[in-house]
Amino acid sequence: MSKKQFQNILIWTSAIILIILIMTPGLWVVLTAFRPQVDVMAKPPVWIPRNLSFNQFETMLFGGSEGSMGRSPVPVLSYLYNSIVISFTSTFVAVLVGTIGGYGFARHNFKFKNGYFLMIMLTRTIPGISLSLPIFILFSKIGIIDTHFGIILVFVALNIPFTVWLTDGFFRQIPRAMSEVAMTDGCTKLQAFWHIELPLSKSGIASAGIFAFLISWNEYALVSNLARSTDSKTLTVGLMDFTAQFTINWPGMCALAVFIIIPALILTFLVQKHLVSGLTFGGVKG
Amino acid sequence: MAQVELKNLSKKYGKVTAVQNMDLIIPHNQFLVLVGPSGCGKSTTLRMIAGLEEITGGDIFINDEKVNDKDPKDRNVSMVFQNYALYPHMSVEENLGFSLKIAKVKSDEIEKRVTEAVNILGLEDLRSRKPSQLSGGQRQRVAMGRAIVRRPDAFLFDEPLSNLDAKLRTQMRTEIKKLHQKLKTTIIYVTHDQVEAMTLADRIIIMKDGYIEQIGTPIEVFSKPANVFVATFIGSPPMNIFSAEIISSNNQTKIKLDENIYFDCNEDQKNKLQNIKEVYLGIRAEDIMPVDNNLNTGFWSFKKNIDIVEPLGTETQLFITINNKETICRMYNPYEVNVGDELSFQVDPRKVHFFDKESQKTIF
Repeated sequence: MSKKQFQNILIWTSAIILIILIMTPGLWVVLTAFRPQVDVMAKPPVWIPRNLSFNQFETMLFGGSEGSMGRSPVPVLSYLYNSIVISFTSTFVAVLVGTIGGYGFARHNFKFKNGYFLMIMLTRTIPGISLSLPIFILFSKIGIIDTHFGIILVFVALNIPFTVWLTDGFFRQIPRAMSEVAMTDGCTKLQAFWHIELPLSKSGIASAGIFAFLISWNEYALVSNLARSTDSKTLTVGLMDFTAQFTINWPGMCALAVFIIIPALILTFLVQKHLVSGLTFGGVKG
Repeated sequence: MAQVELKNLSKKYGKVTAVQNMDLIIPHNQFLVLVGPSGCGKSTTLRMIAGLEEITGGDIFINDEKVNDKDPKDRNVSMVFQNYALYPHMSVEENLGFSLKIAKVKSDEIEKRVTEAVNILGLEDLRSRKPSQLSGGQRQRVAMGRAIVRRPDAFLFDEPLSNLDAKLRTQMRTEIKKLHQKLKTTIIYVTHDQVEAMTLADRIIIMKDGYIEQIGTPIEVFSKPANVFVATFIGSPPMNIFSAEIISSNNQTKIKLDENIYFDCNEDQKNKLQNIKEVYLGIRAEDIMPVDNNLNTGFWSFKKNIDIVEPLGTETQLFITINNKETICRMYNPYEVNVGDELSFQVDPRKVHFFDKESQKTIF
């Protein structure tokens, strides 16, 4: 066996082990979602499921029928609605504002530019959860606690720095001559941006968008503080509805978890092409 | 068709001056080349004309209309960039038609003009290709086509050939010249390559450190350089410049190049060099000719050993050392010479240039 072959085998085995390690919890969640509570709680654990069912999903989406786990149905559809509204709106706003910001940093010189950039990046170093109390107090004072608006605001603030950083890198990669030639071609600055620079950086914007979306979609800690009712609770926060005083409905919780994962997976697949080129092309040069 | 006029044009970046009080009129249809070493302000000048760079002082007129505060899009000039700057997400056709689309020209008119440009530049088979599928020369052609389609008042070229390899550069140079003859439009062309400047220009401007060093036709700047800088910049190889002493005694004036080389001044030179002690003497390589004993009367001559021989086929370049300075001579109709050989050289005294030692300006 040549050295090269040996290396290949080594790389593949470690890759496979790593993937299994990363995937196991996810697989376990999926598995749990389709199993009865008895199996889930069994000791020693039941590795190979004996019977699988869609009961949990049925209960979750269409309300509990007699004989199922018998819990009051979780208002999943309201949560889904909240999640969709909050994630999409916050992503849209963050990408819009962040892209404009990134363009500004990439193309224009102004006083204290590096300072501003650093400041924006530094906001990312503060753990979001440490802000939850101040935000909670502030929001309850101004009366936007438990509203879509409040949560969207938080996510927008959370996502803009990353979007600025990512798109800044992308716009830097586009030669300045590109917009200049567009301007001598008869474009205004805005037209040059719209027709030339924006399409050229769409990978970067797509990457920024998917990241912003995933952060908003998956966030739990902050929203669990800010959302108090079905008016604004998102799917992730809704997971906690499966815990009662003494029991936890593991299969139900996992069913909801699967329900949360699916849209994120689909979206990631859709923009995957951009994502890969985005991270390798634009992201590296910050 | 356009006349472009620069009045007292200046550009400063902070404390650095890129262009200094430039005055210039470029008449209709002229092919003007701005040439100079990098950092001389030639590209900045071009970009100011295009409107991509704000001007610090002075005025720019296109067709007698002041355009200082006009956006690039309103100046009706087209620019071709060094790195082509084709829109990578558009096909050749879309690249060519983009400016017209922005100007809301009707689609059949766009089609007509794109076809016209494609025919002029020989891009017929490449219409639907993306820029990444084109070679360097083809990209350059598309970049020119994009400028043509607009039918601008003036074309601005910013080092358009410097990304091409030597062979293609020569070919594209000819094409640009043909294009100018066909389109009959004002062209302002920036390059650092003096050969490009000489071959293309109706008129050359040689710039250095933001100043114009000389303006003239290619032949003028070559045969009558205004100063040492122009003399060494224009022409290849660069003109040999010697620091020479003027020695006057007994109604005779001699020029001393080194311990062994003295040239006798003729009457004309004698008069012009009166009261001058030192000069820079400039002689082009082709004016230092190796000879075998048949000296032309009135020519200066000296003998030197050869340091380096560079045969080029049609000619051979010989390197000799005069006063510790490497000197290039050209031998036309070359015969075999070897390093170390002593040869006689002659110089036509009417073809030498005298420069003031202090100001480096041409005396005559």
